[in-house]
Amino acid sequence: MPDRGRRRARPVPWAAAWTLRLGLFAFCAFPLYWMVVSSFKASHELLASPPTFWPHEWELRAYRKLFYETNFWTYFQNTIIVSAVTTLIVLVAGVIGAYSLTRYAFRGRTLVARVTLLAYMFPPIIMLVPLFLLARELGLVNSLLGLALTYISFSLPYALWILRAFFQSIPVELEHAALIDGANRAQALTYVVMPLALPGIIATSIFTFIVAWNDFLFALVLIGKDELKTLAIGINEFFHMAVVDWGLIMAAGVMVTIPALIFFVAIQRYLIAGWGAGGMKG
Amino acid sequence: MSVRADTLVLPPRRSTRRRNQALIGVGLVLPSVALVLAFTIFPVAYNVWLGFYAKHSLRATSTWVGVGNYVQIFADPDFWRSTWLATVYAVGSTALQILAGVAGALILHQRFAGCDFLRGVALFPYMIPTVIAVFVWRWLMNDLYGVIPHMLSALPIPVPEAWLSHGTIMWVLIILSVWTFFPFVLVNVLARLQTIPPELYDAARVDGASVLRQFFHVTLPQLKNVLLIVLLLRGIWMFTKFDVPWLLGFGGGAGEAIRTLPVFTYQRSFTYYQAGMGAALSNVMLALLLMAVTIYFVAFPPAEDDNDA
Repeated sequence: MPDRGRRRARPVPWAAAWTLRLGLFAFCAFPLYWMVVSSFKASHELLASPPTFWPHEWELRAYRKLFYETNFWTYFQNTIIVSAVTTLIVLVAGVIGAYSLTRYAFRGRTLVARVTLLAYMFPPIIMLVPLFLLARELGLVNSLLGLALTYISFSLPYALWILRAFFQSIPVELEHAALIDGANRAQALTYVVMPLALPGIIATSIFTFIVAWNDFLFALVLIGKDELKTLAIGINEFFHMAVVDWGLIMAAGVMVTIPALIFFVAIQRYLIAGWGAGGMKG
Repeated sequence: MSVRADTLVLPPRRSTRRRNQALIGVGLVLPSVALVLAFTIFPVAYNVWLGFYAKHSLRATSTWVGVGNYVQIFADPDFWRSTWLATVYAVGSTALQILAGVAGALILHQRFAGCDFLRGVALFPYMIPTVIAVFVWRWLMNDLYGVIPHMLSALPIPVPEAWLSHGTIMWVLIILSVWTFFPFVLVNVLARLQTIPPELYDAARVDGASVLRQFFHVTLPQLKNVLLIVLLLRGIWMFTKFDVPWLLGFGGGAGEAIRTLPVFTYQRSFTYYQAGMGAALSNVMLALLLMAVTIYFVAFPPAEDDNDA
């Protein structure tokens, strides 16, 4: 093939390219690697100087302590409940809202889209005081539902904004064609739009879930009871112990990272689809 | 995209039909609008009003003080100091995130063995909870047992011994934030890179442009818009970032050196229970945010086809 020769002429030499790739890999992965090996080290090895890059002996001490001597599973369960409730509300409202914004003409549509974009930019800190006072007023302090509701304040505008981009990337002509072929609106939606929008919807739900999963600020001010704490503030408590147990904290880190990792692997192909469409704002 | 072209009203019909369509549209968007109004817009508006009151965070009473909170804020050297620290943090971490993000996107834009895997790894720092990211870095940089100070001490140049101390903790904060948030830049830039027509590069190559010239004359102009929006968003979000500086600094004596404006705001509201003062400080951040957004949209008005955005 005449084209091949030209493509072979690499813009960056092979060795340089791989040095850069490995550099990127090391920068991203080393802290995570260190978290994992630290969680398996024995106490004395954890504090050894110089540090060992590969543990001499692997121990489950930190995990045993995490599972049996802390409220880790309670925190875990609370976090899942709050994140799931947030994602459910945000996604139902967001999908139909974004569909409407891209498929129906009505007065105020532009305004709604602009306010959504502005709200998407609002950082949680500027809503901290009012949401705290309102939650107190409504008796939603120390309540997982209250926490989930405050997460709507920053995850819904975000989800609306991404979903709108995804729906925009689906040509409206496809629906026209289905309607002309005799499908009704609901059928066009089910058989034409949804399959195409699904990657975007899945990616958005994962990102919404993770936004809630990762929150620290609102959980910090709204949750005081230990049995209602989420992972972020529960793990933060490990720091207040008399002696900071780094092995325990790293083990908690590994356990919290695993669900994110599973999600991530599961949605990777959707993510790449999202990148292709340019719709990912996360 | 004009309003008519992207809506589903089939060949011009009677206006009742169109009105029904509009009603369905409004009905579908109503839940979102109600939720955003109730949970985002109303709190922000309520906050503006709260800023005029002296209010204890836990007690029900409040006293109207007019612009008193703002007078006090602008006379407080601690406010100016925290604003300065937030600026240093935002500028430093945003600039480096953009550099790292663009570099990462250029690396991942090529196809090579394991490129999907590396894409996943590169996104991962953004996915792990902030609390974990900060604690891992506190451990990596630990004064006594940290692995990075240990590795750096092998270098032939003088390096600080205690990274988490007053003089250097801002550096740790910036580096850790770059690690956590640069994937956001990477994803957005990579998505844009994938839509640059290859013909542009072919043309540049035919003209004999070097790799460097191709980057500056083809790639960078194409990335301009996405980089501007990323700069706006990341700048806003880094300036207003609370959890990273708080989690890195608290419990250590050096927390003072990274007490940025959001941390200062949190302390006013929940350490000193001055909710009115906290609200006023949040409003200062809101005003700065609106200013940045306004400047952005005046300087770079959205393109015609985004009109319905």
